[in-house]
Amino acid sequence: MTLETIKEFVNIIFAPEIILPLILLVFFVIFPPTDRLYKLNKMLRIDKLWTKEGGIAIFAILIVFFLFGLTDPNFKLIVTKPDNVPIVGLIFLVVFFLWFAMKQAVENDQRIGEGKKPAEDADSKEKVLVWPDLVYIEFIALILCTVLLIAWSILLKAPLEEPANPAVSPNPSKAPWYFLGLQEMLVYFDPWIAGVLFPTIIIIGMMAIPYLDHNEKGRGYFSFNERKMAISVFMFFWLVLWVFLIMVGTFLRGPNWNFFGPFEFWDVNKLEALTNVNLSEIVYMIWLKQQLPANILLRELPGFLVIIGYFGLMPLILAKTLFKRLFDQLGSLRYSIFTILLLMAVSLPIKMLLRWAFNIKYIVAIPEFFFNI
Amino acid sequence: MEPQERHYNIDKLNVLFAVSSLGLLAVLGWMVADDYSRSWKDVQKKFRTLEIEKTRVKFDTTENLLEQTPEYQELVAELEQARSEYAANCAPKESVKAEVKNLTAQNGLLVQEQKFISAKLDASRYLYENALKNNARDADSRRAEFNALSQKLDELDLAVAQSNQALDEKTKGVEVCGARLKELERQEHNFSNKAQILHRKLVNIDPDKMSFTSRIADMVRDLPILDLANPKYKINQIVLKDITEDVNFMTVPKVDRCITCHLGIDNPDFEHADQPFTTHPDLNNFLGRESPHPMEEFGCSVCHGGRGRGTDFNSAAHTPSSPEQAKAWEEKYHWHQLHHWEKPMLPIQYTEASCFKCHSGQTEVKKADKLNLGLHVIEKAGCYNCHEIEKFKGWPKPGPDLTKVASKISKNWAYRWISDPHGFRLDTWMPSFFFQSNTSDPQSRARNEQEIHAIAEYLFKKSQEYDKSAPPMAGDPVRGEELVASVGCLACHQTSPLAASQMVTADSLRREHGPNLTGVGTKISEKWIYNWLKDPKRYHPATRMPNLRLIDQEAADIAAFLGTLKNEDFNATPIPDVSETVMDEIVFNFLAKSKTNAQAEEALGAMNLEEKLLFAGEKLIRHYGCFSCHDISGFESDKPIGTAMTEEGDKSTHRLDFGFVNIEHMNYAWFTQKLKDPRIFDQGRVKAHDEKLRMPNFHFTDEEIEAVVTALLGFVRDVPEAKVVPRDARNIDIESGQKLVRQMNCKGCHILEGEGGSIRPSVAEWLIKYDNRSDTEAQAIVNSFSPPNLVGEGKKVQAQWLFEFIHAPETIRPWLKVRMPTYNFASEQLNILLKYFSALDGQDFPFEEKVDVSLTEQEYKAAQALFSPEYFDCVKCHIVGNKLPDGSPENWAPNFALAKRRLKPDWIVEWIKNPQNLLPGTKMPNYFDPQAFEASGPDDILNGDEHEQIRVLRNFLLTLSEQPPLAERNAEPQPAAASSSAEENPQLTPIEGLN
Repeated sequence: MTLETIKEFVNIIFAPEIILPLILLVFFVIFPPTDRLYKLNKMLRIDKLWTKEGGIAIFAILIVFFLFGLTDPNFKLIVTKPDNVPIVGLIFLVVFFLWFAMKQAVENDQRIGEGKKPAEDADSKEKVLVWPDLVYIEFIALILCTVLLIAWSILLKAPLEEPANPAVSPNPSKAPWYFLGLQEMLVYFDPWIAGVLFPTIIIIGMMAIPYLDHNEKGRGYFSFNERKMAISVFMFFWLVLWVFLIMVGTFLRGPNWNFFGPFEFWDVNKLEALTNVNLSEIVYMIWLKQQLPANILLRELPGFLVIIGYFGLMPLILAKTLFKRLFDQLGSLRYSIFTILLLMAVSLPIKMLLRWAFNIKYIVAIPEFFFNI
Repeated sequence: MEPQERHYNIDKLNVLFAVSSLGLLAVLGWMVADDYSRSWKDVQKKFRTLEIEKTRVKFDTTENLLEQTPEYQELVAELEQARSEYAANCAPKESVKAEVKNLTAQNGLLVQEQKFISAKLDASRYLYENALKNNARDADSRRAEFNALSQKLDELDLAVAQSNQALDEKTKGVEVCGARLKELERQEHNFSNKAQILHRKLVNIDPDKMSFTSRIADMVRDLPILDLANPKYKINQIVLKDITEDVNFMTVPKVDRCITCHLGIDNPDFEHADQPFTTHPDLNNFLGRESPHPMEEFGCSVCHGGRGRGTDFNSAAHTPSSPEQAKAWEEKYHWHQLHHWEKPMLPIQYTEASCFKCHSGQTEVKKADKLNLGLHVIEKAGCYNCHEIEKFKGWPKPGPDLTKVASKISKNWAYRWISDPHGFRLDTWMPSFFFQSNTSDPQSRARNEQEIHAIAEYLFKKSQEYDKSAPPMAGDPVRGEELVASVGCLACHQTSPLAASQMVTADSLRREHGPNLTGVGTKISEKWIYNWLKDPKRYHPATRMPNLRLIDQEAADIAAFLGTLKNEDFNATPIPDVSETVMDEIVFNFLAKSKTNAQAEEALGAMNLEEKLLFAGEKLIRHYGCFSCHDISGFESDKPIGTAMTEEGDKSTHRLDFGFVNIEHMNYAWFTQKLKDPRIFDQGRVKAHDEKLRMPNFHFTDEEIEAVVTALLGFVRDVPEAKVVPRDARNIDIESGQKLVRQMNCKGCHILEGEGGSIRPSVAEWLIKYDNRSDTEAQAIVNSFSPPNLVGEGKKVQAQWLFEFIHAPETIRPWLKVRMPTYNFASEQLNILLKYFSALDGQDFPFEEKVDVSLTEQEYKAAQALFSPEYFDCVKCHIVGNKLPDGSPENWAPNFALAKRRLKPDWIVEWIKNPQNLLPGTKMPNYFDPQAFEASGPDDILNGDEHEQIRVLRNFLLTLSEQPPLAERNAEPQPAAASSSAEENPQLTPIEGLN
């Protein structure tokens, strides 16, 4: 296998219609929300990742990937851009802290399994003084951060570009890194959803967390087993819907907002066939071989049914099946709020999948009233 | 838990703290060092060394020169002696010295006290005034205080005056005694002034010559942080308040820091220094304080582009002029393109593009030969016909009228011509549309062949009638050749192919203003040529070909001669047959654009071959834009087909399609490639035939391309408004005139604004071939036989006369074979020309000062005497009426009989005074010495008053006249007005006053 074939293979893996399902599959095995998946996780010995050896292996793979990648001019160009260097740092930091937290959680799970108290239990008995134990190390950390920032600013010059010109927008035009997730959402949803509804729901949802989660366990110490659902849901938001989309926006979205593999040249002239269709067109034109109905409501009936089914029936079905225990624990009100929020969050990857795999543009498409879902 | 217990090991933390603090110190030091080290400082250090070296050498040579000057040596010796004398005789004695010292000290004390009391007095005045105003109780005491101080000050003033006087008396004797020494010292100073200036400079910059304190200061002033005050090495900048940079939401003054490194740019001493210290070329025109573009007012980047605020090699957005230079820069400066700067520096070969920003109205910009050539080529090639360019709005179409083409050429010739114009005439401006790089595959070739058939068919079908009368007599080609060589055809046309290697210049373009006539006999018939020569406008109403007023015999001779110029090879090229299958495909493609396939099939089936050809012809003429350059029936209102180019230089690179062509991604590289092969960017693309690029190939040479690219880069929106050539009436008149002069090729014959007269080599050839002159002789007298230099024409001739003359030329110089043609200008054009000449010379237009030309009897006699052979012998050269001078025609001069109508009286005065001043190199002798004017005229006439002599001579000349008056003359038909001998001009009569 030559280097080029490896690169091509990686490029193929990173194609959106493959990487997204892949991540979804792997994610729920690594962070299993339910007991059954937890068993699978244990069976596959995935919790070995959260040991010292596992950590070394994760970092070794990351480092090897980057070192290998840097031999490629296209990869190097994107990764070493002064704007993108912090995002590379972000990958390593996120992975490190993820591993660090999970390691302690897994260790505690083991202790609890053995009937012992979690490791943090001992800490709670110890008292330390603000000075010097807290302030001193904070001060040292502050100095070290200053050293790092100064050295960084000397070595990597601030990336200045041409004066902003309303008539000429850069290609690709990218939002600041922390907004790349929102920008990515705009590809799949209309601005009123991606730019207004979702951000609002995110804030409301976060405010709701303390009221929804009344699990007494796992407070003050790391534990996975005791809070599988909570951690899995959080990690899904954080890692998939936030960090992953930042990575996509930074490294994989190129000119014209086209998708590029990590080793692909960012060709301004690359063209992708945009042949997206609405659900109504699939139903009427492809399946039923009919003309689209003139009546808007009739035309969008399948879409409305899907939406109603998704938000109306799904919570009920889930309450009877997958979330049966959860429903019992939370009660109907908490359960409804929780599932609606969750379904909304999950709708993003679902819509992404539908777009990438089936070219679906809108579930409900009423451009006449600027109402598209 | 014990309070002293610690969670962390404090000793370890202390160590960590120490290490990280040291780390912080280190990076802070690094930061300062990084901030302090700037590449421009190294450059300035290098420059300083160079400057010291140069100043030392200069100083040494000046000193050596001084030492070799005997006067200076004498002076020095004298000075030496004066000094010893002074020491011996004048130097004050010890006792006196002590006394002076004492007095000076006393004087100092007194002056100080005077100052103090004066200040107190002012303060007390304020208090006193304040007390008076407020009726304060202490007003009296204030007054007393004020008065006391006042009195004291008076006393002190007196004491100071006395003390000064005493001091003066003591020192006066010494001063008088030392007066001679002082004078000598002053002389010495004047003598060695230059050396001393250099010495002072050296003391400032050369560490070896500095005093100890200066040397310390010299070292300290550039240390980090201390360098905020007055460092040696600092950023130099020019701030241009009236040239702004548009940063989209606001404009900021342009700031150019180029002179931070280009330190010798305005100093002629560094002409041979290496970059970046090299002097700017031509300081008289650029950068110099006295030049039209002083550095302080224009800066650098307004012309050169680039990032004026940049202070290192890359951030200034330097652009290499060639791949080799790019490579060298990469090695030397780690050069890379500054992608985010929209206006990178122009590569040096294109710098003249920027001249266009401010001089866009001018037809020719002085000192910008490449830009001029580029604009000239754009104009000749007619780029502006397809690509809208503001500058060329309203310019005539460069190609001939094709509305009567069938009467001129054969359809076969048209086919051959369209398929390969350069095969017929190497230097034609007609470009090749067919068989280009994107249409050279067999299928495209076959299609191209049929397209040409269709176009030719359309042109000939739509051609209108044109009556050609046969010449009334047979022409003689030998005489015809001589006529072509003499009457002036060669100012615009050539009859032999130009050498392929010849560089294109403004001159060569003027000499080929009209088509080269090589092989013209193969193309058109003698009969057609005859009719054309007799009246070009009858065939092509908008033609720029003038009428040379040829009589029938002359026209027949020239037609006969041109008929002998053949190009048989071209006529032998085969012509493929019309292929209906290919034609069907072409027609179908056009039909299918507006119809469904079935409709198109039907329409196609209903056409016969002729209709198909005609239909395809019309569509193809529109597709290729033939109508842009040629008048074609049916296309009168079509719009240009190309991209507008008025702001092409601003177009950002990413809007240019580089396709798969591997060239530098810069606009100039794209333009160059496009002009080299206009279809190149189709390379590797999959396109239908009618989608292919269609810009034709002009077969430009590399020089032409570089020139055209220079002009294109100058077509920008962002011009420094404050610096643009002012849009006042005078400039507009000049610019409109220049445009017309260019369009009509006046400079083909005449020298205007110091340029032109391109016909001269042809005149010299004529002299050698037909007038039996030797080579050197021909060169010497060619000016006398060429059309006149028109420098100062506006000052020289009366506007009314010039109007009449251009409208209907009359003979001024009967010895010239070359004729001033009749252009049939519209009055608007005539006015443009008249205003142009007036504006060039700063003349009032259209009316001018009346001059009294009357003479008294005595003055008249004096003038006659000056005119006579005893004095100036004017008629030796000048024609007077119909009396020709003796001697050979190369010494003849214009007819005096025309003076009254033609010349401006003020000009005659200036002319007689110093003809060389008005027309350098003229044959007119200087009768008055411009160096010693007052003593140069004859002393025995009018009391030797030179001004009077010239005045009476002028008035005398203006009394010489001709008959009949102007109005009647113009009414008559013009019989060969330019023929060579005066006998044929019966309207000139002997003039009064001579006999």
